Amino acid sequence: MNSVTKKWLFLKASSVVLIPLMVWFILNLVSVFDKDYIEVVSFFSKQPSKLLVSLLLIFAYFFSALSISEVFEDYIQDEKFKNVANKALNIFAIIMPLITIIILFNLTV
Amino acid sequence: MENKNPLSPHIQIYRWHISSLVSISHRITGIINIIAITVICFWIASLLLGEASYEFTKIFLQSIFGKFIILALIWSFSFQILSEIRHLIMDLGYGFELKMTNITGLLVIFGSFILTVLIYLI
Repeated sequence: MNSVTKKWLFLKASSVVLIPLMVWFILNLVSVFDKDYIEVVSFFSKQPSKLLVSLLLIFAYFFSALSISEVFEDYIQDEKFKNVANKALNIFAIIMPLITIIILFNLTV
Repeated sequence: MENKNPLSPHIQIYRWHISSLVSISHRITGIINIIAITVICFWIASLLLGEASYEFTKIFLQSIFGKFIILALIWSFSFQILSEIRHLIMDLGYGFELKMTNITGLLVIFGSFILTVLIYLI
């Protein structure tokens, strides 16, 4: 299996996982976004929110990194610039969810 | 080594169809969603600063503008969800006929607005 096929399969697999996670998240976001501090913290610090938000972040950044790299492939001709952009994208897609998940698991009411 | 692969032509040279509108909107909402998720990461991080620091965020989110942003975000997520389901169905080999691509494209566009209203009202 070549790398492009693997990339496509990862993209599709992550999108299958992301759809129910996004539905769950927007349903909960609507009910919590304008609430008091205690209610917001209690939402993010209880289970299964911690686990589901963590999974959403991991899969959303993974999916985005793969999709945005496709956009780079379509519109950036300079190979060096494209490589730098892809590396920056991948680093961002690892660091951002990692830090947020650490914060999430340290959040208590 | 120099890359000789052709780039995608600029979108303005195509004649607009429902499929192209859904396709470009899928990319735009994808970028909006990842920016929104990044803002949500900062929102979660801001909770560590305590209740007093959260007051400004709460006032913003309870304002008309804050509610509009959340509504727009729900639409963007809804569009991405429906468009992604459309892509997955097409990946299975269904819905490639011109009439069907137009119908599913319209379903994604109108469905995303209906889904947004339903989710906001629940």
